Amino acid sequence: MNDPIMPTILSIQNLRVEYPLRDHKRSVKVAVKNLTLSVSAGEVFGFLGPNGAGKTTTMNVMLGFVNATGGDILLFGTSVRQPIARQRIGYLPEMTYYYKFLTAEELLRYYARLFEIPRPETDRRIDAALKLVELEHARKRLIKTYSKGMQQRVGIAQALINNPDLLILDEPTSGLDPLGRMKVREIIQRLKDEGKTVFFASHELGEVETVCDRVAILHEGELRAEGRVKDLVAEHQCNLEQVFLRVVGFQN
Amino acid sequence: MNSARTFWLLLIALFVLCFGLGAGLQPRFQAIENARGQSDNFFILIFGDSSRIFANAAFIKADAYYHSGYYPTIFDNNQAFKTPHMAEDTGAVPSHNQGDETGFMGPPRNWIDAFARHFIPNRHTHLDQGGPTDDLSTSSEVREILPWLDLATEMNPADIRTYLVISFWLRTSLHQPSEAEHVLRGGLRDNPGNPQLLFELGRIYFENYHDPDRARSIYQAGLRSWAMEKPGVPFSERLKYDNSTFDDRFVFEQLQVHLAQLEGSLGNRDAAIEHLQQAERASPDTAPLQKMIDELRGKNP
Amino acid sequence: MNKIFAVAGVVIKELYRRKDFYVLFVLTIIICLIMGSMNVFNDREIIRYVKEICLLLIWISSLIIAITTTARQIPAEREQRTLLPLLAKPLSRTELVVGKFLGCWIVCGLALVCFYAFFGVLAASREHHWPLLNYAQAAFLHWMALGVVIALALLGSLVFAAPSSNATICFSIVAAILCLGRYLDKLALATPEPIRSIVYSLYFSIPHFEIPFDMRNLIIHDWPLIDWKFIWLLGLYLLAYIAFFLTAACLIFRRKALN
Repeated sequence: MNDPIMPTILSIQNLRVEYPLRDHKRSVKVAVKNLTLSVSAGEVFGFLGPNGAGKTTTMNVMLGFVNATGGDILLFGTSVRQPIARQRIGYLPEMTYYYKFLTAEELLRYYARLFEIPRPETDRRIDAALKLVELEHARKRLIKTYSKGMQQRVGIAQALINNPDLLILDEPTSGLDPLGRMKVREIIQRLKDEGKTVFFASHELGEVETVCDRVAILHEGELRAEGRVKDLVAEHQCNLEQVFLRVVGFQN
Repeated sequence: MNSARTFWLLLIALFVLCFGLGAGLQPRFQAIENARGQSDNFFILIFGDSSRIFANAAFIKADAYYHSGYYPTIFDNNQAFKTPHMAEDTGAVPSHNQGDETGFMGPPRNWIDAFARHFIPNRHTHLDQGGPTDDLSTSSEVREILPWLDLATEMNPADIRTYLVISFWLRTSLHQPSEAEHVLRGGLRDNPGNPQLLFELGRIYFENYHDPDRARSIYQAGLRSWAMEKPGVPFSERLKYDNSTFDDRFVFEQLQVHLAQLEGSLGNRDAAIEHLQQAERASPDTAPLQKMIDELRGKNP
Repeated sequence: MNKIFAVAGVVIKELYRRKDFYVLFVLTIIICLIMGSMNVFNDREIIRYVKEICLLLIWISSLIIAITTTARQIPAEREQRTLLPLLAKPLSRTELVVGKFLGCWIVCGLALVCFYAFFGVLAASREHHWPLLNYAQAAFLHWMALGVVIALALLGSLVFAAPSSNATICFSIVAAILCLGRYLDKLALATPEPIRSIVYSLYFSIPHFEIPFDMRNLIIHDWPLIDWKFIWLLGLYLLAYIAFFLTAACLIFRRKALN
């Protein structure tokens, strides 16, 4: 259940997403079935589910990459169909690819322009973001010369350039070494301390259990469980991983 | 064995093989009787007989330049340009033009066509008559047709009219008779004894170098070449009034008329009259020639 | 508008950090200088054939730059997955499409400035005069024509999956219009119904950017300046086609799923 005092940042209302299948029957695949959930301000929300559960589809609709077949998603009270809904969010995709012909500084400046951040403020934020992700020494180098870890850190920096109120992360620790994962956890904790909201999808249930306030578990497009982590763990009397397995039907 | 060494040895062996094959096979190819293979002309070597198509395109391009771009395409009525005007104006090439000289485009077909005509050359002009600006001081810009004509001679050395046109414009508008002579002699190397080329060469010697004796020799050589062109055909057949003999008669007439002018300028009245009478045999319109004869007779009745 | 210019700026940056333009520019210069150094009957003032070759190379190079740059803009972003973090920003798809178009168009404009500057210097070296207004007219209409080609290529990039097929189709369409656009109505007359009606419809509906292409003859042969009202009218005509193709591209892109 949501915190009744904190405002709702993200509201998913009866979301339904269907994909037409290219067969002679013109059938459709239902990727998300009537999903309803909401996230309050200041929460760290984990979005869990096995592969093909509909997590990525839901996030794609949230970010405007895909149109919903039914229902809607509101970000800060504005429908995601409007670009302005994304003014206060930051997004870190699972696979971090950025313009190889730009430097890190140029990339951040570009994205800052898209947020219409004034020039002096842009300079300050670029310095702060690069310092946070420890890329100050490489700010003038082209991104094509970066290692995977450095590219991931650029991704974090661009997700934070507009000082977002909601940070959406898709598998943020995927492919990172233990040091990198620790860094990501620290950033998430820091954002939480600052009162930001974090919404992330992950398969690393150990990390989710550590950092998340609430989680939702999706399976075959349907919401199977939702609630505070400690409540779910207490209810099933096991750790989050086992809760997950039970909810999706692989009970040991 | 070192793989890099093996690679280099293999490369050297292949190079030796290729070079040896080339050296061994080259005499065999030389022995093959092929005019194209033995040609020292780059375009004929590359394109073969199809170089003639490109040569004609280059010749037409020169005429398009002569008209400052105002020229029919394959979609337009091109009867007016059957004989390119730059060639027609030389007086050395017979004209077969019968169509509309100035309005090949016709009226605008629709609003797009009407609007587009503001952006293309839309007036009939000649470079030696001032071009698009009607500025006669720019008449020497007829030089701009020369590169395409030069290309046409390279691609088809057998096309006589190209040499005639180059020579005429070099001689008259650009005042470079020595260059014109050089072009004609190049044409004669590829087309030995051609009467049209000899005619034009004779004009240079007479009109530019003021050497009538040499000019006379060249004109007479042209006549002899003309006579030997079709050995089995009697003169009467070649000079009869018929569309098929038009070009043949034109050359004969040109040579005779210019010989007459030459002899007339030297005071050899009888010789001049004789040449004019010969020209009458070939001319479709004898009135001007008869007038010239009468004038010559009138000088010394 | 700031966002549109931001997107355009990145497109421009990409071009001057790639080598395509420089290669084409240097190649054009080399070919023209070789052509210009040919000795034609010892006359050093012959220049029009060099002007024609130069202008033809400029058109070919500019079309290559326009189509290859534009055809890969959005497909490359999808392939390299840079599109998702981009559209996660408060940037509408319409702004992205317009920004890409503007970037490619400005890039082509800058390339044209360089090409026509070289052309002007080359021509003036023999002609000893500078018909700058004539060159300005030709360059402006050339740029407008490229705008139509870019808008068409952008639309194609949203319809065809592969940039290579889009580029091939665009090149084919552009070549067909440049060679035959002016004569389609004549071709129509020579065909029976119903092909005649189809060809006539095609003639009136295609963008006639062969008009600026054919305008090269006026520059080559030193024709007088065209009345400016016709220049603006043609510019407006081409702008209408740019708007049409861009609108179609925006409508298609709006509905495309990006997963």
